[in-house]
Amino acid sequence: MRPDRREDDEVRALHSVLGLLNRADGSAQFSSGRTSVYSGVYGPVGARVYDEKLDRAYVVVRGRADAGPAGTADRWTESAVRETFERVVAAQLYPRTMVQISVQVREDDGAVDAAAINATALALIDAAVPLRDTVAAAACAVREDGSAVVDPTLEEIRDARSIHTFAFAASDVSNIADLTSASICPIYVDSRGEFSVAEYDRCFELCARAAQRVLAFMRTAIEDKVSKESQIAGSS
Amino acid sequence: MASVSDQPSNIERAFLLDAVAKGVRADGRGPTDLRALRIACGPTHGLAEVQLGQTRVLARVTCAVARPLPDRPTEGLVQVSAELAGLAIPPSPQTTAVEVEEMAVVSRMVDRVIRQSRAVDTEALCIVAGQKVWSLRLDLRILDHAGNLVDAAMVAATAALRHFRRPDVTVDGTDAVIHDPRDRNPVPLSIHHSPVCVSFAFLGHQPAAAASAGQEVVLLVDPSRIEEQIMVSRYTVTLNPHREVCALSKAGGAALPLALIQRCNQIALVKADEINEKIQEALKSQQQ
Repeated sequence: MRPDRREDDEVRALHSVLGLLNRADGSAQFSSGRTSVYSGVYGPVGARVYDEKLDRAYVVVRGRADAGPAGTADRWTESAVRETFERVVAAQLYPRTMVQISVQVREDDGAVDAAAINATALALIDAAVPLRDTVAAAACAVREDGSAVVDPTLEEIRDARSIHTFAFAASDVSNIADLTSASICPIYVDSRGEFSVAEYDRCFELCARAAQRVLAFMRTAIEDKVSKESQIAGSS
Repeated sequence: MASVSDQPSNIERAFLLDAVAKGVRADGRGPTDLRALRIACGPTHGLAEVQLGQTRVLARVTCAVARPLPDRPTEGLVQVSAELAGLAIPPSPQTTAVEVEEMAVVSRMVDRVIRQSRAVDTEALCIVAGQKVWSLRLDLRILDHAGNLVDAAMVAATAALRHFRRPDVTVDGTDAVIHDPRDRNPVPLSIHHSPVCVSFAFLGHQPAAAASAGQEVVLLVDPSRIEEQIMVSRYTVTLNPHREVCALSKAGGAALPLALIQRCNQIALVKADEINEKIQEALKSQQQ
């Protein structure tokens, strides 16, 4: 029985706000239960000569945890977001420019890296940066008894034997019934702790299903935003 | 795409000065109007998010047990850290230097007010004299820079400190038991007073010369970003609900006549009351 009485495969209540920041080209806040992350995107903007790449945009990620001085937790979140989006952003369209993604954790109640990836996906769409695909992420924790629970809270993570974060592309998981590690390829995987192959496979499936739910949620959020904007445009 | 240079053009500058001379600001406010102030606290203890117009600041208070300073064995520690999140301003080679300077001003201001004016009772943070004290850390993150970071940051800091709960402690001689928040409710900090900053920007060429020539000097409360970029002088008053002045800051800028400063102080009293009321409301609504 989970502390908040959720089912093993139940994700927490999802919430998002798009375009909440004024200066950033695109921004989003993504929350799963009490875990909440802001992501802001500037780009494509001019890059320093030192950073610019001749054939593509330079994607840079800066991340900060909710409290405390800069540390390794920041670097983990940054690398999770960067590794996921480096290949998803259609960088070849904007050579010699930079896309700067900034992630700020508002509250950490577990599965922060997954929330950061989801917030960034929404922020990139809000910024109208071309993407190869929409991306959604989810995390899973394996308890001492070997059972896997999706979207773990901080308490569940502390008691877990291993933790897994996966990010999937929408075209790989949408409308697909067979969600096993044999049939689909994730965009990002991070596994920590001791686990068996069977436990990994179980987590993979749980996270793929959770990602489907997150994608459906993102779709609604974006459709909402677009319909609001077209109403404003239409009325003026 | 974000623009390369952040500075307003000569035309914008002339337009704003002209409008302000007629008593109208770019966003339609009057000279002494604050922008809309929204404060959201929690649910995590010590988390406050403040929006002053489009400026957005996140404040977070955390605590840890630490050794006290050798020359102050019965006092807890307070550390303030302010950062401009990568979200807040567009990246460009010019902005890094500006960024560092502005954040130094914000950190210094909030740090000075919280620590030196003794907003938090540091003696109440003592656990075992000379050995264990609570060390508070206040992290400020600017999420969106639309001007007047100091006022917004101060509101966020004040709200976060009042919202924060530290673990309860039982002390028996030199042994201290720190209770898990799940076993015993965490307790609020002992706060002497809640400081609030009110900033003024002065627009024009030489306010001092203008005043003596009989012209109306233009002062603006709660400057927006563009007003900050064209102002010639800045003045910040920090007040608490007991109508006491905690800090005054006028660092550089054009010289201002004393009568003008006194007028600013009078306006600040009214504004500080408004801001304090909003903080009270936000904290009360969170408790329900």
